[in-house]
Amino acid sequence: MAAKKLRRARLSQELCERLSRHQITTCQDFLCLSFLELMKVTGQSYYDVQKLLRKVSRACAPKMQTAYEMKLRNSVNPSSAFLSTTLHSLDKVLHGGVPCGSLTELTSPPGCGKTQFCIMMSVLATLPVSMGGLGGAVIYIDTESAFSAERLIEIAGNRFPTYFDSDEKLFCMTRSIHLYRELTCGSVLKRIMSLEEEIISKKVKLIIIDSVASVVRKEFDTKLQGNLAERSNFLTRGASVLKYLAEEFSIPV
Amino acid sequence: MQREVGSLPLAPALRTRLVAAGFQTAQDLLETGPCGLSKEIGISKEEALEVLQVVRQECHGDAARTAGASDATRKCTALELLEEEQAQGFIITFCSALDNVLGGGVQLTKITEICGAPGVGKTQLCMQLAVDVQIPECFGGVAGEAVFIDTEGSFMVDRVADIATACVQHCQLIAEAHQEEDHLKALETFSLESILSHIYYFRCRDYIELLAQVYLLPDFLSEHSKVRLVVVDGIAFPFRHDFEDLSLRTRLLNGLAQQLIIIANDHKAAVVLTNQMTTRIGQSQSTLVPALGESWGHAATVRLIFHWDNSQRLATLYKSPSQKESTVPYHVTSHGFRDVQPPAVTQNAEDTEMNPRKRPRREEEK
Repeated sequence: MAAKKLRRARLSQELCERLSRHQITTCQDFLCLSFLELMKVTGQSYYDVQKLLRKVSRACAPKMQTAYEMKLRNSVNPSSAFLSTTLHSLDKVLHGGVPCGSLTELTSPPGCGKTQFCIMMSVLATLPVSMGGLGGAVIYIDTESAFSAERLIEIAGNRFPTYFDSDEKLFCMTRSIHLYRELTCGSVLKRIMSLEEEIISKKVKLIIIDSVASVVRKEFDTKLQGNLAERSNFLTRGASVLKYLAEEFSIPV
Repeated sequence: MQREVGSLPLAPALRTRLVAAGFQTAQDLLETGPCGLSKEIGISKEEALEVLQVVRQECHGDAARTAGASDATRKCTALELLEEEQAQGFIITFCSALDNVLGGGVQLTKITEICGAPGVGKTQLCMQLAVDVQIPECFGGVAGEAVFIDTEGSFMVDRVADIATACVQHCQLIAEAHQEEDHLKALETFSLESILSHIYYFRCRDYIELLAQVYLLPDFLSEHSKVRLVVVDGIAFPFRHDFEDLSLRTRLLNGLAQQLIIIANDHKAAVVLTNQMTTRIGQSQSTLVPALGESWGHAATVRLIFHWDNSQRLATLYKSPSQKESTVPYHVTSHGFRDVQPPAVTQNAEDTEMNPRKRPRREEEK
């Protein structure tokens, strides 16, 4: 949204050319300038600049929705708002399960079962909607190389024996879980940024990253000077991209 | 009338031409007339007329200001301000200890900032306030609408629905106890659907969308004149990552703060911002301080800091022009933001000589 070109914000052609001579081509550049600078650059009067500012803002601003509309949307399709974890007390506390459209974080000391939980969620996501799943593919970004496909099949077979009664169904399920092994922060970030098209093409309904902390701790030593800033930079950038993906596609992450 | 040509709000090219042609004050311009102006400067007659109209408008505004006309200016005596402030409403938070500390609740026309570590209850309070602002006047509320600008994506509609239901139930209890006409009438319009439809939600993904939205807010508020609360949940989040140019960040933040102050004053709305905490590494220990730096601290009028003390959540009033600094505990229950219950209080909705502004203490139904 921010990188939207001014041309598409419906400003007049000559104004756009004039602004591009000052290297202002996107809405971002335009809105970052102060009033006086804008007047100098566009050569227009105070009130006209105000009107221009509003026009450009309208091109970038988010759409309004009332809370009521959001609730209606959620209640129209209750199954699509949560991915049930099949642990009843957990689901009750979470109001239905892992929420779709937002980030959920799982933390614990080592050995408590985080990776097992992630594997189970992957199985659940591939189940059809009628059985409480999401009926789609899963993207699993593994940084610790802890994912075991055999364990996946074991869980699927034991938990839902009636559904996974044939080998074919098992293959189908395993085919829809896409595993990516990333070992550095940079590659994790790159992978996250490239996910958008994959989500659409593979009909992904769940993204799991196991785990964020391990790769960050490996690379960034907080005792060194500049690393704290870089680490938080990496984390917030990754977080905002993931949030965007979660909300855009209404999937749990 | 002696206003300098260089200070008029005209296009810069025009201004340089006027100055180059020798015009010094607005009086000179007005004496020349549009035809003379167009000939001397080389602009069309229509443009010259426009220039003169702008000049006349400005000078008229100046004259009114110097003559001390009251409605054109923002000048008034402290007595008038006192009366205004006393008549002003507060938005209650449903935690009476916190309301007492704040002097009645979140004040209109002021910017309140809530800082705290993640998970301590900032968004909960914002959602509670968005519901509380809609409480009808006979129950002690301001009967307004709310604008919720979300940058972090932590707005959960179901949670707001829970809070709203609890609030409606609460008001119903009061109405049953009092049995007054206007209470029952107000209750008809104060329902879950109406509460949710008067919360206007904007989801801003980065700082440009936030800036754009704040520029457009005055128009939005003029259309929806009943808005009494603007919440910006997460003002720190879009500015904390990917910002190499710190001076640009300070400039944008200051501009934002000014815009919000103008909005708060003009539309008699309360502005609530939530901020994150960052660690300041001192000599031997590190402390948690509000994010966005020292200069941002000047933007908010009232600052609340939420923090943990073992497992108890505490709210500290850190900066306020009129109230004392103090700390109170609070709870986030399934009904929303509440007081911490002292153990020996029994619920009794009937024994009420209370005025509608005090809320009955209820035991939580867990």
